[in-house]
Amino acid sequence: MDGRRARFRSARDARDAGLALVPQHDLLVGAASVADNLALLDRNAPLFESARARRARVTRLTDAFGLELGRPDDRVDALPVGTRQRIEIAGALAGEPGVLILDEPTAVLSPDETAALFAALRKRAESGAAVVLITHRLAEVFAGADRLTLLARGKTVKACRIDETTAAEIGGLLIASAEQTALSEETPKIFLEGEEGEEPPELPLGAPASPDLNHPSKKSTARSAAGSAVSAVSPFTFEVTRRGTNLEVVGFRPAGSRAKQISLSLSPGELLVLLAIDGNGADTIAAAVAGLQPFAGSVRVAGAALPRSGDPLAFRAAGGAFVPADRREEGLVLDLDIAENLALPAPPGRLFLDRTAMRARAAEGMAAFAVRASSPAIRAAALSGGNQQKLVLARELAGVPRLVVAIHPTRGLDLAASAAVRARLAGACGAGASALVVTADPDEAFLYGGGVRVVTRGALSDLLPEGTPPSTLGRLMAGLAA
Amino acid sequence: MSAPRRVLVPAAAAGAAIASLAALALLAGASPLDALRALASGSAGSRAALGETLLRSTGLVLTAAGACLALRTGVLNIGLEGQFLAGAAAAAAVGPALAGIPLLARAAMLLAAAAAGALWVLPAAVLAAKRNVPEVLSTILLNLIAATAVSGLVRGALRDPVGDYPQSRALPDAVRLAPLFGGGRATAAVLLAFLAAALLAVLLSATPLGLKLRAVGLAPAASRAIGLPEARLKLLAFAGSGALAGLAGGLEVLAVTGRLYDPFSAGTGYAGLAAALLGQAQPVPSALAGLFFAALGAGSSAMQRDTGVPAAVASLVPGILVLAVLAARARAGRSAP
Repeated sequence: MDGRRARFRSARDARDAGLALVPQHDLLVGAASVADNLALLDRNAPLFESARARRARVTRLTDAFGLELGRPDDRVDALPVGTRQRIEIAGALAGEPGVLILDEPTAVLSPDETAALFAALRKRAESGAAVVLITHRLAEVFAGADRLTLLARGKTVKACRIDETTAAEIGGLLIASAEQTALSEETPKIFLEGEEGEEPPELPLGAPASPDLNHPSKKSTARSAAGSAVSAVSPFTFEVTRRGTNLEVVGFRPAGSRAKQISLSLSPGELLVLLAIDGNGADTIAAAVAGLQPFAGSVRVAGAALPRSGDPLAFRAAGGAFVPADRREEGLVLDLDIAENLALPAPPGRLFLDRTAMRARAAEGMAAFAVRASSPAIRAAALSGGNQQKLVLARELAGVPRLVVAIHPTRGLDLAASAAVRARLAGACGAGASALVVTADPDEAFLYGGGVRVVTRGALSDLLPEGTPPSTLGRLMAGLAA
Repeated sequence: MSAPRRVLVPAAAAGAAIASLAALALLAGASPLDALRALASGSAGSRAALGETLLRSTGLVLTAAGACLALRTGVLNIGLEGQFLAGAAAAAAVGPALAGIPLLARAAMLLAAAAAGALWVLPAAVLAAKRNVPEVLSTILLNLIAATAVSGLVRGALRDPVGDYPQSRALPDAVRLAPLFGGGRATAAVLLAFLAAALLAVLLSATPLGLKLRAVGLAPAASRAIGLPEARLKLLAFAGSGALAGLAGGLEVLAVTGRLYDPFSAGTGYAGLAAALLGQAQPVPSALAGLFFAALGAGSSAMQRDTGVPAAVASLVPGILVLAVLAARARAGRSAP
């Protein structure tokens, strides 16, 4: 660093030397408060610091970077993933690092927060720091970067200054390399580097650089890696009942909350997207329906009333499937292999595990959902994020669900993998299921092909007309009038 | 953990054990080689020595199996000692009453012991499930209650009316297990213990239930979201773990002591937990670790007699080993991707 060879023995070491990393999945201390976590992250924090000073830091950073960080005394493990990611970002920025690396930082940010983050990153770059942004969102690259490096399978596909290329060119390379990675487990990613630049940041809020790439039409969905997924035949045969409702939520609010009661219902074949900045209650609604959170009011899945105390087993018994926000913590048992993960929660075999049946099920699931791995005996931990997510979907959609609840199902995935995930959910709805999808990405909301509602502070909007521009969606998400 | 590491860690631990024993013998003013030789012949050098090792291993192997079941399911049952005592007390209560029919008495003792062990862990399991009380604390506290209860029972309800000592009535010889081979004290109980460990290994690796238990142990949040009955599986692991420890206590009465007295256990439950940590919660390696601890215990008295190195020195070794393995694992965890 700064022309000298640097050797770091720990992340702390690197951070103290001025190299800060914002990881894709936060590494905060769950049992500690927001204030304490930020004190740990801030390399300029004094050795001894009063609780008051630590709380003041939270307010100061909230104001400085326009990021909503939660209350200073909130326990971090009680906060939604979006807030936790913002804490990581604020903690890294607080130390004014000379080198700042961010891995998919905007996946759960609102458009306004993304804009604020890019303004802060630009400021860092202008003060002489190097900023490396790892992202799969082209709009971000062309809004803020000076140079870009496109990587696929660990190799550089293209490296150039941003004014030497176009979004269309990079998008084409991206999709081409995604198709080439057919046998690899790597996800192609764009690396975006910022240095002392001149142009002011153009924010990814309004008009993305290349609408046809950022909003792939259904045609391009079928053309990418999802192609194989779409044509795959489900190994299960079943009859579709198109009567009744698959999900009926009446007078719902999270247990102990004073939020407005909400009601919604989904009939067979219907897909509803709840678009919200994390922390506004969309993920709570989804988690409560899946039986993972207590609630007040009533939730019926395929006619069966779910207990208010939260019971994942009752949700499953009623025909529910769940794709959680955090595939590593909640979606998969990382230390088990692919076949074992696909066999849960009801492994085949009476006295002994039927390994033959497990292998067969794994082979089918991997083929149908295009999970790329050399064998079903590969540990889930060894798969890329996209393949892990496809593995979750393979398990959840195998059982002919009546209702699929999915939270941030495309988070951190590249274009092709995201399209495949959306095609899968649409396919389940085509087979008579209903789907409730939570996302924080306004660019993505209408790509699912279902209705879109915005959730702000626990309140549900009406269905939004298709084609509502992402900028309008962003304002609605932030609680502003459209 | 990779395969070479799975072999390397125990091998390095065994090396560390021998090295530390040699060093301790040196400190005690004896020749390390002589001390190790005495230890070896005292644990496996004769039928009597081998019998002693196997006899001591019974309880260690079973409590280690109980610890494995708990650890693999993500349950920290530190109360094996208390469950061992509960099993011993139940066996000592049931056995003499049925002394007329030896086979029935044996069966009843083992059933009662396993049931008592499972019941003794139940308060901790229920408190953990309903009130989020850490089982590490509750099971340790139940150990203290069990020890006090044994002390009370041998002076009260179970006291042998004949004789002056605070102890329960002796099992008649017809009920007690006969030696497995001439010249040694080991009984069929040791076979039962190893069988239990082998069955547990099969249960965990090759049955649907085992896969579910492991999933809960490896990823509790994912298991809940996937729809595994996490609470029920943990309760099962608690109860199974307690039953194995209780069985160990029952066999101790049936095969070794023939009666309950106070203090009854010399830390079998804790040593079993240490063996399971050394065996990295794998039932068969943990059983072998239990056997190794038993050999150390059996050989140490011979070492004291022949070379003057205090027997207590050998009891330091399990502690050193477990620390070494935990340190190695922590290192491996840090360097792993």
